[in-house]
Amino acid sequence: MAEANPLRGRVSIAGYGETAFGKKLPGTAWDLAVEASLKAMQAAGVEPEEVDGIARFCSPLETVTTAAMVRGLGLRELSFFTECPLGGEALGAVLGQAASAILAGQASTVLVYRALSQSKGGRFGRADRGLSSTDDVVVPTEDNTAFAWPYGLVSPGNLFAMMVTRYMHEHHVTPDQMAHSLGSVTLAQRAYANNNPRAMMRDRPLTMDAYLDARMISWPLRLFDLCLENDGAVAFILTSSERAKRLDTDGQPIEILAATQSLAPYHEPFGIYTPDMTRLYPEAATERLYRNAGVTPERVKVAEMYDASSFMTVGSLESFGLVPRGEGWRHVAEKGIGLDSPLPTNTHGGHLSEAYIHGMNAVTEAMRQLRGVAANQVQGADVAIVGGASGTAVILGV
Amino acid sequence: MKLLPERSELTRPYWDALHEGRLVAQECGDCGRVQHPPLPRCGSCHSAELSWRDLAGTGTIYSYTIVHHAAHQALADKVPYAVGLVELDEGPRVVADFVGDLDAVLVGARVEASFEPVTEEISLAHFVLAGPPPHDGGRAVAV
Repeated sequence: MAEANPLRGRVSIAGYGETAFGKKLPGTAWDLAVEASLKAMQAAGVEPEEVDGIARFCSPLETVTTAAMVRGLGLRELSFFTECPLGGEALGAVLGQAASAILAGQASTVLVYRALSQSKGGRFGRADRGLSSTDDVVVPTEDNTAFAWPYGLVSPGNLFAMMVTRYMHEHHVTPDQMAHSLGSVTLAQRAYANNNPRAMMRDRPLTMDAYLDARMISWPLRLFDLCLENDGAVAFILTSSERAKRLDTDGQPIEILAATQSLAPYHEPFGIYTPDMTRLYPEAATERLYRNAGVTPERVKVAEMYDASSFMTVGSLESFGLVPRGEGWRHVAEKGIGLDSPLPTNTHGGHLSEAYIHGMNAVTEAMRQLRGVAANQVQGADVAIVGGASGTAVILGV
Repeated sequence: MKLLPERSELTRPYWDALHEGRLVAQECGDCGRVQHPPLPRCGSCHSAELSWRDLAGTGTIYSYTIVHHAAHQALADKVPYAVGLVELDEGPRVVADFVGDLDAVLVGARVEASFEPVTEEISLAHFVLAGPPPHDGGRAVAV
């Protein structure tokens, strides 16, 4: 057997903090980031002066800089900081780089945060963020958007829709079958949210008829296939597993079994030109994830998948080897993703129905599941996967 | 209000050719790879011997979406419209919008480029359905 990955289990998330999630919260993203970070420190049983590292999730629209956090929290001095770009791709990156820095002795106590204020900072679903002019827009060459926007391919939702169209073609799924499959995902996640006091959609039940009747955004995706846009923040304190056990934490420390990154040509936000649009990421990323964690997909008891659209729940279950390729659409429709299904998935309601904090609120949910305190608790959950975009992921365990 | 491409040092030859009614892509002088979007080097063999070659402007639809909700104010008058990826006969894929009957837009349908000047300096390549859609196994992929 190959030597164990050095990261496996040696760093833990000692605590997390989160703000409320909502359409329009008072305060700036900075306020939210500070609130979540202070709560995370308190939950982890560490003082601000003990924090000596920060891993910043700095995708587009993240406005709270590392320096602003050092100032805002009155931290003494960082000996380690890193910034992870792209989108949901940063999920495994911030946790993995924080853990690596701790193992390498660059820092002992690392803060990871993600704050969003879409009500003040611009909405992900809009391509004309903050635009008021009626003048022509010159689309920059950067990231190839100049080849897409002039034709009307402008939003993440447009791209997700194209993934679904191609998926239907390759796997011989009719539009009706696909709609019922994606509706099953959306309804199951909404049902989880209806039982989750943190969820933005907790008081909003959804029926299949209402799902199907909702307006088409970008065929074949309807309104409820696409994630929420909101304000909110979450934060985490990472330290060595050895030290975490000695801290006075509010809840059991959660071990990071693996935290991986992946970046292959065009597997990036708005990548468009991936050779196979139905494959969300290279297979190697999945193999590396399980190998590093030392677990097989069968050991995973609960899955929290990056769902900027309902289809990404389906695509991620396939890409992370949890459901056979081409079978995801049928799996979610027939076996489901609820608590009585083979693999409960997006148990907080996900980005579709809890809130969109760029995958980081899936990490908090995985921690609750592993601690046995989730609103929709999976019995015996001891290994959880949190899948990010483009193959980045973490596997957590207790 | 229009969405117009920036023409950078790397991409200007592409847009200039479109404005002359030609679809072009980079071709590697060493390994023959035809690539789009443009790169500083050949994406396969890293050769710097890249030139621009004319393409036939024909291909098949790889995937598409019918956009009903304009996510940019410049597109408010355009919805509903079909946009997607065309796999050109020479290999590369290009983003394209489709002209004609939205119901006839299907994965695998044959299309050909049609050029439209949108300013005095810039043209876009729309794609027009060429001939009947391919047999799709009886699946009507209606919109």
